[in-house]
Amino acid sequence: MNGWTGKLLRIDLTTGSAKQESFSEEFARSWVGGRGFALKILWDELKPGIDPLGPENKLIVALGPIAGIPAPNTGKAVVAAKSPLTGGYGDGNLGTRVTVELRKAGYDGLIIEGKASSPVYIHIVDDRVEILPADEIWGKGTYETNDWIYKKYGKGAGVLNIGQGGENKVRYAVIRSLEGRAGGRPGIGAVMGSKNLKAIVVKGSKDIPMADPQAMKKLGSEDLKKVGEIDKKTGWSIQGTNAVLSWLNEVAALPVRNMRKTSHPDAWKIDGQRLNAARIATYGCPNCTMRCGIAIHDHEGRESELDYENIGMLGSNLEIFDLDQVASLNYLCDDYGLDTISAGGVLGFYADAIDRGAVVGDFKFGDVERAKELLRLTAYREGVGDFLAEGSRIMAQRIGGNSLDYAIQVKGLECSAYNCKYIPGMALAFASSPIGAHHKESWVIMFEITQTPRDSYGPEKAQKVIDLQRIRGGIFEFIVSCRFPWIELGWDIQHYADYFNTITGWNWTLADLYRVSDRIYSLMKLFWLRESPNWDRSMDYPPQVWFDPANADTEGPIAGLILDRNKFDKLLDSYYEIRGWDKRGIPTKKTALELGLAKEAAEVEKYAKLE
Amino acid sequence: MKIKVKIIGPFIYQAGFSEKELELETPTTAAQLLALINLPEGRPKVMTRNGRAIAPQEQLEDGDRVAICPIYSGG
Repeated sequence: MNGWTGKLLRIDLTTGSAKQESFSEEFARSWVGGRGFALKILWDELKPGIDPLGPENKLIVALGPIAGIPAPNTGKAVVAAKSPLTGGYGDGNLGTRVTVELRKAGYDGLIIEGKASSPVYIHIVDDRVEILPADEIWGKGTYETNDWIYKKYGKGAGVLNIGQGGENKVRYAVIRSLEGRAGGRPGIGAVMGSKNLKAIVVKGSKDIPMADPQAMKKLGSEDLKKVGEIDKKTGWSIQGTNAVLSWLNEVAALPVRNMRKTSHPDAWKIDGQRLNAARIATYGCPNCTMRCGIAIHDHEGRESELDYENIGMLGSNLEIFDLDQVASLNYLCDDYGLDTISAGGVLGFYADAIDRGAVVGDFKFGDVERAKELLRLTAYREGVGDFLAEGSRIMAQRIGGNSLDYAIQVKGLECSAYNCKYIPGMALAFASSPIGAHHKESWVIMFEITQTPRDSYGPEKAQKVIDLQRIRGGIFEFIVSCRFPWIELGWDIQHYADYFNTITGWNWTLADLYRVSDRIYSLMKLFWLRESPNWDRSMDYPPQVWFDPANADTEGPIAGLILDRNKFDKLLDSYYEIRGWDKRGIPTKKTALELGLAKEAAEVEKYAKLE
Repeated sequence: MKIKVKIIGPFIYQAGFSEKELELETPTTAAQLLALINLPEGRPKVMTRNGRAIAPQEQLEDGDRVAICPIYSGG
C-alpha cells in the first residue's frame, strides 16, 4: 500500500512487550492518518468512562501519508489520548524528527498502552524495540532530558519527551520534541507521565513507500524551494506569528487580564518588532520552509523560543509586558513541559479569582516573579500548585459560586490567545472546536473583522468556521503536515491533494479529503456523547463572561459591546444544521450513515439516543 | 487633518516606520492614504480605522487612527 508503511507498533508498558500490527487499506481510506487514525483507534479500544490518567488510557503517536516526506513543512506528528483536561478525545500536533524517523523505521504510528512499574523510555531502531530504565532522566526538565538523549543517541534521533509537569500529571502537560516544539495541549503529556514513560527515541533506516518516489522527490524539492521563496518575498518569518499581536491590540481582540480587557497601551513592548529585534536564533521543524520559532534571551539569560500564542497568554493576559520576562515564563513552561496557553489561562483565571475575592491568594496581574514560582509549584503539584495543575474549569468548579463564568475555556481546554467577547465567528470557532478551545481548528478573526460586519451572527460565519475546520482541523491533521504555508503564504490547498495522490497513487479530490474531515469531526462528537450521554449544547458555548454586559469594554472600538446569547444560539444552530447535527450538537443518525459511521452510530446508541 | 498611522508586521521595514502622525488634506480616502505609504505592491492588505474595518473609498476624519496590516490567517 503506497503512502503508508501499513504498520502500527503497539507497545504494552505493563508487560514490556511490543508487536507490529498491519492495518487494512479500508482503514487507511476511511481515516487516512494522524488525527483520523488516533481517533478511530481510541474509539475502538477505549471503554467509555475510563480514567484518562489510568493504565486503561492509550497514548497514540500518529503520522499520515504526507508526514516526513520531502515536501513543504511535513515534519509534524499527532499525539493523542483521552484527555485528562476535558474528558473527551484530545490531541495536538508538534514538529519533531520522530515524524521522519518513525516513518523510516517502518511505522505510521505508535499505540502505547498499560503502565510501566517504574520510569522508562522507549528506544526504537527499525524493528528493534527496547523499553529501558529512565532513572537518570526522571525528574529532569525537558532541556536536560533532551541533552541526555542527544549524548546517548546523537542529534539525528527523533525524540519525544515530557518534563516534570507530565510526570506529575498536570492536566495541561504537553509532549515536547528536540526541535523545541510542544504538542498535546489537552494533557497528552500527563497521559504519557501516567504511564511512567519519560521519552520515546526513534531512529529509522528504511524508505517511505510511495507510488512514484521520483515524481514526489521532484515535486517536493521544487515546492520546498517555491514556498521558501514566497516566505522571503513576503517577509513573513521576520516577525513570525507574533506580527499579529499589534493588530489584535488595534481591533480589541488581545487577551489582557484574564481576557477581561481587549487591548493595552504597553502591548507594543512585546510585539513582533520587539521580538525580531531581540532575536538570537531561529528554529523550525524538519522540512520547514518558514521557521516560526524565534528565540531570544530570557531574563535569566537562557534561550527561550517564542511565538504569538505564548506571548499573548503569558504576557498580555497576565499584564506582563517585559519581553525577556515573558520569555522566562515561556522557558519554564517548556522545561516543565506545561502548555503555555493553558498555563497563561490558568494563572490569569487565578489572579482574576483573587481580584474578585473568590479565593484568597497572593498573586496579582503583572507579578512575574510570583508567576515563575507558581509555574514551579504547578509542575511539581506542590502547595497551591496542586490546585493550579487541575486547569481552570476544575479550579472554578471547586471555588464554586459563579466562578465558572470567568474560566476562559471551552470543554475544559483554555482558550488560545484571542479575546472574542465581541467576535461572534471566532467565539464559534472556539466553541465548536471538538477538543476544546484551540485555535488550530479554525481561525476567522481577520476575515470576520475586515470582511464581514463584526456584529453579524449570520450563517456565513458558521460556514466559514466549517470551511476552515475541514482544512485546518481536518486535512492538515490527518495527512499530517504543517498548515502554515497554506494559511500564511497562500500556498494552494490543492498542492496537498497533489502530494497525497503522488504518494498513494490514488486520485482523490479535495472533496474526498473534506469527506474524511467531516467523518472525523462527527466521530469526535460521538466520542463525547459516548463519554457523556447527557451531553447538551451548553458544552459548545464560549466562556459565559463573554456574554456578560458588565464585562464589556468601557473604551475603545467595542466599548459597551458584548456577545449576545440568543444570537449566538442561532449561530450555533446554523453551524449544527450545516454539519447535519441535531440541536444538541450531535450528528444525526442520517449524517452518521452518510459519513460511513453506521457501526459507530450503533455503538453509541448503547449509551445515548441519536436523532 | 491629522491621522495616526500604525503599520503592522513586516510592512514596517519597507514603510520605514511603525507608527506616526500624518498631516493630510481634507478630503482623503483610505485608499489615498495607502498610496502615500511605501508598501509592497501586490501583497494583500487590510485596513482598520479606530479598530473597525474601513473600505478603501471611505473618507478619513481628523483624529482617526488607521492600522495597515498584511492578511494573516492565524497560527
